[in-house]
Amino acid sequence: MTAAAGRIVVSGLTKRFGRITAVDGLSFSAEPGSVTGFLGPNGAGKTTTLRMLAGLIAPDSGTATISGHEYSALTSPSRDAGVVLEAAGFHPGRSGRDHLRVYCTAGGYPLRRADEVLEITRLAAAGRRKVRGYSLGMRQRLALATALLGDPVALILDEPANGLDPEGTVWLRGLLRDYARSGRTVLYSSHALGEVEQLADHVVIVSNGRLVHHGTLADLTGGQGGLEERFLALTSRPAGSAGCAGSGGSGGSSEARS
Amino acid sequence: MTRLVRAEFRKLLSTRLWCWMLLAAAAWTAGYTALAITLDGRPGDIAPALSSPAGQHALFAIGAGGAGPLVAVLAVAGVAGEYRHRTAAATFLVTPRRGRVIAAKGITYALAGAGYALACVAVNLAVALPWLPARGIEVPPAGNGNLAVLAAIVVSTAIFGLAGAGLGAMLRGEVVTIGGLLFYLYVAEPLLSHVAALHGWTAYLPGVAADGLTQAVQAGVRMLPPWEAGVVFAAWSLVFATAGAAVTVRRDLTG
Repeated sequence: MTAAAGRIVVSGLTKRFGRITAVDGLSFSAEPGSVTGFLGPNGAGKTTTLRMLAGLIAPDSGTATISGHEYSALTSPSRDAGVVLEAAGFHPGRSGRDHLRVYCTAGGYPLRRADEVLEITRLAAAGRRKVRGYSLGMRQRLALATALLGDPVALILDEPANGLDPEGTVWLRGLLRDYARSGRTVLYSSHALGEVEQLADHVVIVSNGRLVHHGTLADLTGGQGGLEERFLALTSRPAGSAGCAGSGGSGGSSEARS
Repeated sequence: MTRLVRAEFRKLLSTRLWCWMLLAAAAWTAGYTALAITLDGRPGDIAPALSSPAGQHALFAIGAGGAGPLVAVLAVAGVAGEYRHRTAAATFLVTPRRGRVIAAKGITYALAGAGYALACVAVNLAVALPWLPARGIEVPPAGNGNLAVLAAIVVSTAIFGLAGAGLGAMLRGEVVTIGGLLFYLYVAEPLLSHVAALHGWTAYLPGVAADGLTQAVQAGVRMLPPWEAGVVFAAWSLVFATAGAAVTVRRDLTG
């Protein structure tokens, strides 16, 4: 492992869809050994950013790198990054285990790795059932299991707790925390701010495609008010601008909102 | 690339569609073979007599008619289905070099096509070979140029698989692409190819070229000689596959 292994760096990232600028000159990093929460209102550009990181959407300008390389240039992408984008990417007529075995073969992993990640995600009992019969929570676990196949040094997750029951949420929190403790990088988007408060070391907040806060969770909340209050203050429109930038700067965070 | 082809085969074989399509192709082949033999020599039968080499070529080419379009449909479903079921993201996350993924799919469906063709040839022969002598027609499978037809069926169906993979990658809408493909092969192209005034170029259409390759005789349709038709059909499918790969590499996967 090099020093940069698992480090996620987004630099000047911009993406337009027609006349809409989904992501606008976004820059931040997520460091190995920590959990970074990626927050923002609906339509703030979180998913587009994560998809650009994963090489699924081409940026108009700027770069997004994992371990110093753009996703498409990674020699063994599924070892460098495990990506969970949505709990929907499954053929309904294929079993969860067969789904995983397909990607074991494509990624060059032994087939038993499929059974291992089924165990890790507590899906072993349902592995041979067709995905058609899976609940949303089970699909979410299967998406996570797919991301874990390569035992990656970075995890990039788009709302991974969606559809998980309370027990599942606690389990996921433990898994992500252990992942970060072992020196790997976790970057995940979420709307569950209470969850983020319990788990994240750093937070990146975006609004309208732009960075409005990047720093440690402690810096952001500064002891006064919860994350929710600060989040709403930073992302509320149109006020976000002046009022929040002034007060938010106190915590050593990098404010990018003009 | 071997790894990717194996992964694509795993995808193909881990859902049921291949099985249903194989049964459909076998049933088509058995049905049309039986029909061709039953109608042979009856008044109004416009197909060449089964006692002639041309008639035998057409009879043995029935397997291609069953396997080819269905393999193309299977390939479209396998490639465009990745967008419909949103598995494309997982596929490109493991293999970000998307051109290689499309190439692997093309190879996979070409090989699957060859397998379907062999199965349909077996069905065709199983129906025809015991039946024809009973009607007083001696058919040497390896004589009269029949072996070349059987080999051409395997090649033709493989090309159909590659073409389908290319079309699926290019157009992405599974149901619309399959509907359009079947409409083209069974309605549009037969209409055009039967118009004598258009014979100058209809022989170069993909489906007519496929028929030319397997010498599936159709009255009133001009076809190229097998070699030339095979080259034309292969060129079409390479165009589809290349265009499919080019589009896939540039496409944003937004969700």
